[in-house]
Amino acid sequence: MSDEPALMSLVAVAKAIAGKKLSSREVTQSCLDRIAQWQPRVNAFMAIEAEEALAAADAADAALAKGQNLGPLHGVPLAHKDMYYDAGKVVTCGSKIRRDFVPTTTSTALQRLKDAGTVRLGSLQMVEFAYGPTGHNPHYGAVRNPWNVDHITGGSSSGSGSAVAARLTFAALGSDTGGSIRMPAHFCGVTGFKTTVGLISRAGAMPLSQSLDTVGPLAQTVEDCALLVGLMAGADPEDPTTSSQPVPNYMAATTGSLKGLKIGVPTAFYVDDLDSEVARVLDETIATLKSEGAEIVKVELPDQRQLTAACQIVLATEAAAFHKRWMIERPQDYGAQVLMRLQNGLAIPGVTYLEAMRWRGPALAAYLAAVTGTDAVIAPVAPLPAATIAESDVGNSLDAEAVIQRITKFTRPINYLGLPSLSIPAGFTKTGLPVGMQLIGRAFDEAGLVRIGAAFQRATDYHQQVPKAA
Amino acid sequence: MTRPDPKQVKAMTEIAGVPQDAEVSARIANSIGPAFDGFAPVSGTLPMDIEPASYLLVQRAKVSK
Repeated sequence: MSDEPALMSLVAVAKAIAGKKLSSREVTQSCLDRIAQWQPRVNAFMAIEAEEALAAADAADAALAKGQNLGPLHGVPLAHKDMYYDAGKVVTCGSKIRRDFVPTTTSTALQRLKDAGTVRLGSLQMVEFAYGPTGHNPHYGAVRNPWNVDHITGGSSSGSGSAVAARLTFAALGSDTGGSIRMPAHFCGVTGFKTTVGLISRAGAMPLSQSLDTVGPLAQTVEDCALLVGLMAGADPEDPTTSSQPVPNYMAATTGSLKGLKIGVPTAFYVDDLDSEVARVLDETIATLKSEGAEIVKVELPDQRQLTAACQIVLATEAAAFHKRWMIERPQDYGAQVLMRLQNGLAIPGVTYLEAMRWRGPALAAYLAAVTGTDAVIAPVAPLPAATIAESDVGNSLDAEAVIQRITKFTRPINYLGLPSLSIPAGFTKTGLPVGMQLIGRAFDEAGLVRIGAAFQRATDYHQQVPKAA
Repeated sequence: MTRPDPKQVKAMTEIAGVPQDAEVSARIANSIGPAFDGFAPVSGTLPMDIEPASYLLVQRAKVSK
């Protein structure tokens, strides 16, 4: 067992710093050492701020020595997807267009983590403007999967998935509009939490689709994610779409058993057209949940293909609207694939977009009716494990959209419905690539997913596996 | 509802103020076409008294398991 502090979970390291068993400097230096070792191989970081991080760690240690504890993450070093505005820091959004963009405000989610005492390690790579599921980036290079650097990380939170998997940061913010947290979590073997639309403020987070964007973490464990979501969730005057309901204690849900819970397994769509190893991991996950006390029931869901289509219509239209000015003024500064996908939104009539938005309520009602009696639904995150970077580099070719749609087919319906979904490491392929499963819950029932996911992680050790440096 | 063909896409991009040539229009039609096909069973079937904000009523309703 290694004694590298960087290998600890977020919750464990926060406790060690608060209890003065480790200093923030020791922990931060451990992360920086791993970053120096891994960054040339995986390209997970956009910016590494070693000196500033160590100075902030020293300040955290000095504060603690004086009896000042800033919060539950006092002195814990983190890095996040480079789309969360941090006043005075360059936020590229993975793009050439915003290569030098310096915001004057800090995003609410990031500020709440800062208020909890975190130290900034730098910023993490991402797909250009968060619009792509593979992890390719024509401006800053593809991010690589620490389990096999020839393979994709998934996107768009590519750096977040890669960095957490390689233990370069204890956790990282991602964003999920069509699967961008769950996909890297699945491909990189980490835990990822796509939260309910309206739970966490999007203020100061780069927009892609105002109806579908969600903020959430990637981390080693469900417990880590529960802590982070609890710190970030809640009403924000800067984002009027946030819910005003009190934030539950998600950490309290990490100890519950699965006895008395019902977990639904879809009879179609999410179990169709699966890679054989993903199918095997799904079966093994269901068996584990059952052995831990859950009752497994079959659920017949409404036609999910219509949800994926509606999601694509909403996302393409809203993204095109956000980017229209740059599509006119700076089309040459986009990568080919992102420009192609933005152009798709130009061809959707207003009536069609509004129909897709109007159908959201009835579609959610139909889904909830279909899962009545269950606490969550289990499904694969994607039908396949991580492809190679070379074979998935489809650019703006004629079949690019079809390839993208296949990768995201199991995540987009959940974005359209606005539901929470927890991606958990659930196994490995014979070649050593991670496979994740998603637990899909009811709106604002993140605590229910935490309970199931934490119980699964007590019974398995997939989330504790660490890729080896060459 | 039918998927737009390349000529229609070209006209729509012009109306949107971001005109595209025939080649790009063909690529857009190819890319976005399946979404139109997938949504076709829903399109034109929704009752009048539903608006986008109706979603929030469903999402935030107290639902028991």
